[in-house]
Amino acid sequence: MAKYILKRLAYMLVVFTIIAALMFFLYNLIPGDPARAEVEALKSTLKPEQYEQMYQEARARLGLDQPMVVRFFKWYFGIWTGHFGFSNYYKANVIDIVKEPMMNTLFINIFSTFLALGCTIPLGIYCAVHQQSKFDQGVQVGTIVGYSIPGYIIALIFIYIFSVTLRWFPVSGSKAPGSSLTGFPALMERLYYICLPLIVMTFSALGGMTRYVRAAMIDALSMDYIRTARAKGLREKVVIYSHAWRNALLPVITLIIGWFLGIFSGSIIIENTFNLNGMGQLYYKGLTNQDYELVLAMQMFYTAVSLVGALLIDLSYGLVDPRVRVNK
Amino acid sequence: MSRKMKLVAALLAVMMLVGVLAGCKANTPANTVSGQQITGSTTELSGDWGNAWWTNNAADNDVRSLMNGYGTVVVNQTGEYFFDPTVVAEHSDSTDADGNKTFTMKINKGLKYNDGKEITAKDYVAYMLLAYSPIIKDMGGKVTPSQVYGAAAYQAGEATELAGVRLLGDLEFSVTINADFLPYFYDITYAGVSPLPMQMWLPEGVDVKDDGNGAYFTGLDADKAKETVEKARYLSEKRVCSGPYQLESFDQSSLQAVLTVNPNYAGNFEGQKASIAKVIYVKVITETEFDQLSTGQVDVLQTLSDGEEIDKALDLEAKGGFKTANYLRAGYGKLMFQCDFGPTQFIGVRHAIAYLLDRNDFATTFTGGYGSVVHGPYGLAMWMYEKGEEELNAKLNTYTYSLDSAIKELEEAGFTLNEKGEPYAGEGPRYKKVTAEEAGDYAHNVTLDDGTILMPCIIEWSSSENNPVSELLAVKLANTEATKSAGVVINQHVMTFTELLNYMYRDSSQGDQYAVPTYGMYNLATNFSPVYDMSYSWTSDPELVAQGYNTNFLFDDKLDKLSMDMVYGVESGDNDTYLKLWLEYIERWNELLPEVPLYSNDYHDVYADKFDHYDVSSYWSSIDQLPYMTAKAEK
Repeated sequence: MAKYILKRLAYMLVVFTIIAALMFFLYNLIPGDPARAEVEALKSTLKPEQYEQMYQEARARLGLDQPMVVRFFKWYFGIWTGHFGFSNYYKANVIDIVKEPMMNTLFINIFSTFLALGCTIPLGIYCAVHQQSKFDQGVQVGTIVGYSIPGYIIALIFIYIFSVTLRWFPVSGSKAPGSSLTGFPALMERLYYICLPLIVMTFSALGGMTRYVRAAMIDALSMDYIRTARAKGLREKVVIYSHAWRNALLPVITLIIGWFLGIFSGSIIIENTFNLNGMGQLYYKGLTNQDYELVLAMQMFYTAVSLVGALLIDLSYGLVDPRVRVNK
Repeated sequence: MSRKMKLVAALLAVMMLVGVLAGCKANTPANTVSGQQITGSTTELSGDWGNAWWTNNAADNDVRSLMNGYGTVVVNQTGEYFFDPTVVAEHSDSTDADGNKTFTMKINKGLKYNDGKEITAKDYVAYMLLAYSPIIKDMGGKVTPSQVYGAAAYQAGEATELAGVRLLGDLEFSVTINADFLPYFYDITYAGVSPLPMQMWLPEGVDVKDDGNGAYFTGLDADKAKETVEKARYLSEKRVCSGPYQLESFDQSSLQAVLTVNPNYAGNFEGQKASIAKVIYVKVITETEFDQLSTGQVDVLQTLSDGEEIDKALDLEAKGGFKTANYLRAGYGKLMFQCDFGPTQFIGVRHAIAYLLDRNDFATTFTGGYGSVVHGPYGLAMWMYEKGEEELNAKLNTYTYSLDSAIKELEEAGFTLNEKGEPYAGEGPRYKKVTAEEAGDYAHNVTLDDGTILMPCIIEWSSSENNPVSELLAVKLANTEATKSAGVVINQHVMTFTELLNYMYRDSSQGDQYAVPTYGMYNLATNFSPVYDMSYSWTSDPELVAQGYNTNFLFDDKLDKLSMDMVYGVESGDNDTYLKLWLEYIERWNELLPEVPLYSNDYHDVYADKFDHYDVSSYWSSIDQLPYMTAKAEK
């Protein structure tokens, strides 16, 4: 097992390095001159020679006067020593910029993931067990609708219904304007503000996961061992949850672990629509502001999370299914 | 008089008295501090309050301008610069034998920061000493030593004293401007300095001194200072402020800034102090900003330019509970030409394109009816325009839409042939017989057997992606029947804005392809600050052109001279001479037409009607107006 993990770690390092190189060169080949963008606004206030001097200084400060390969190695080794880059837009270290949005994204996604799984798994199981019932058919229609409508549209519809018309929830933001609450009241206020985004995220997620769980359960319920279990006279609950669900879990586990790994990544659409200062919005802003060191750092973080996630998924297969347990 | 009538009379008298008292109350200037305003901005706060030395986004600037006050030179509602009488008690200027100009200023006694510490001349001197110091430069700050005498040497670390800044007393200091930058019409802006709260920006024990050769810091350790500066840059709690408001908090998570009235603020240049107790600055997003407004999550939305948004704002106003304010943009969207190659090098072609576009129709369509058209590089709110409007109206060509005029211009420019060198018969693009120099390497040129070079009226247009202006230009200009029948072909090339800039600047450092003149036409936008300085914009100096000056590549001595003389040839205060040169400049520009102004927006703000005295302009935003605003009590 240890040997397998070490082998996988070595493989991950290679993949990480290749992706880092690809990303770095890709972003640096995009036409654009960050140094010019930095000093252009000062042009009208400077004499030409001063403008040129500032421009050259900006180039040197941003490392643009060095060959791209040198810049790559500096950046790459910087990552391993904790220097994730410098945001040219915010004029601050990337690590300092990412902290707050990351906390916000984690806060939202943890609730969202538990809420979505809490709804979709029981719903999927219930629908599979009561296949072709009116409830099942209704859920099928509902999930297809939820699955088909883009999250952005769902968000706007929900804002109109619950915020503008019913006034149950605020339109956007993560706290009341000017609120100075602290401690538990502040937490409650925050939860109130993220209620609507959570509802939208859950509603958007219902379709895919419910159908996936339902399909896995239907497969499992059609197996011979389920018939055998029922023939043995086991209670239906035991048949469903101990026999069917445990076997249906195998294909679902990949999705569930993927969801948990996804708590680090923000939703560009939800965060933008509800004006939440999260990773999705930061990523989008990084791209639109051509803040490539910020974007690169975020992408490398997600690359690392994905690689670790792939390893965890493989290992977790072994935990749920002894047949594929890795011992080498 | 019956008892009943007496009773009615008494009641009427009481009612009148109440009415008079109520009226008196309504007309009394607000001197109580109450209420709050939630201002929405589509730009998010970064929390960098560092005097725009590092970042300069609009939202941070709004908050900075509320926190930082007592600048020696301020700009008023009409974009005019002057010494702030609340700050500057006396000021004078003198010029030495070398032509360097010194502004000496004595500040009023009794000005205080929000923490109660008195503001002295040292605070103003400290601002310049820190701003121009190598410390800020090392920290990536974008402060240019520019005009202040000796600042370049000081910033480079070659001098410890800043020769051009003198501490002359507790309340008196001076700033000397390098002769190279004089005379300058806007030289008063060089005397603009704000106080720097040393207790926040510098380590303990640092002081400002002057031994006669220029001001300098004492007890300054650069490494310690960098730490203090970095902390001060982002400090949100107990921040030392000198403006009408003080920062109460900044929430990095929700990106909200809360400001409360600064109790020690002495007032702006008119002695005006804020009466709205709390200002909350929040981010809004375009898609839901009106939902936030209608549900009370924000009170003010600024600078609406989209026709649909403005209609929504006016609808809200009509329903009640909200008001709108509108003002003309000091700037415009434009078609820009590069005038040194291809067909756009010929003035007739540039004129023809202007004639082929119905600019009134374009502006109405694009702005949804909330915009206008200008005929030169000016905004309708500028004082120069207001004073020179009559002359401009008489002299400027408005390039009113006319196919005939376009054809006439093209024919006069020599575009009278077809691709075979025969007279143009109305099919395809027009051609002109050009010299080898005029022809350059333009890709569409045709060389006939006899060596004659013909240039077609085919214009390559660089337009940025996801840009509604580009889309409308394609419909209203590039692909119209009129353009086709005039014998003009406009090829649209959609690209990212960055790539557009690379081509516009001919920036070879980004790739060899950009150095080749490729596109004759670009669509962009421009804004004018109160400092209308177009110097070097039309330079012929190849080095400056290579640095990105004169991106129109229009080399006209008269235009260049006017743009330089207008600011560097006029003493400050000589408005008449400036205006005369400005009018000549606009007229020459209008004749050469290096750009076609497309639309100038009529911006709208929408705000809750609980606020009074909401009076804004393109030079005076709702943030500038905040100290004048009052908030009615909530119902």
